[in-house]
Amino acid sequence: MARSTFDYVTYIRVTPERLWQALTDASITQQYWFGMRSESRWAVGSSWQLSFPDGRACDTGEIVEAEPLRRLAIRWQNVVNPEFEAEGAGQCTMELETSGPAVKLTLTHSVDCERSKYIAAASGVWPKVLANLKSLLESGSVVLESY
Amino acid sequence: MARSTCVYVTYIRTTPEKLWSALTDPKFTEQYWFGMRSESPWKAGSPWKLVTAAGEVLDSGEIVESDPPRRLVIRWQNQWNPELKAEGVSLCTMELEPHGTAVKLTVTHSIERDGSKFIVSVSGGWPKVISNLKSLLETGSVVLQDYERKH
Repeated sequence: MARSTFDYVTYIRVTPERLWQALTDASITQQYWFGMRSESRWAVGSSWQLSFPDGRACDTGEIVEAEPLRRLAIRWQNVVNPEFEAEGAGQCTMELETSGPAVKLTLTHSVDCERSKYIAAASGVWPKVLANLKSLLESGSVVLESY
Repeated sequence: MARSTCVYVTYIRTTPEKLWSALTDPKFTEQYWFGMRSESPWKAGSPWKLVTAAGEVLDSGEIVESDPPRRLVIRWQNQWNPELKAEGVSLCTMELEPHGTAVKLTVTHSIERDGSKFIVSVSGGWPKVISNLKSLLETGSVVLQDYERKH
């Protein structure tokens, strides 16, 4: 099937436990994700939502896989941009692997649609979010305050 | 024409001048590039090489564009792996753009052929090298000491 995919790999000087917490605790995600809260109970089948600071949903979906400290897969649907929403739900997978004193984080975000505009947009956002996440965990502060 | 490309973007809390120096000073590159020295006079047309501490040349080529502290383009050919060397010359572009209190670094590495094994290889290498560079500039130390091929 035709598919658009964004892949990104980064290495972060942190433990898998702290990285997992940073990905799944909304009070931490809002620090590096430009105020966005990633909210779920993080069990397979449970609902998931990425919320703006005022509580409105930006993206919604459900947890497809959750293997704490190792792997998270989220069914991910944008709900604020009609053009993105029309492309249908995609999937975002985050894999954590220990690499010496660091953790390798591999993020794969795809939509089953050729030349997806949503994936093109996400490709610009993920490097900012993950650069902030790495800086926050390694130095205690983010690199970009605003998007 | 068929082409294989790898693009890697990150944002580093530093100045364009410091980042340019980190990319072009071999004493700096060996700290985050797993002991490798990136050596050149950094003028358009001048030779370039990536060498190990023992002096072995891993990759070589020439500077196509050099616009400090904004843009660097290198003609880049693998020298240590016969299969990768046989793919010919690739082009590596590094762009530095101020972004608030940070610098956006974009590395684009491409070769004019489909299914390039060289580009697959550098796609695994760049995230390690650039993660180390970001950690070194922001915290004073790298994140990975060794280049573990399995990762």
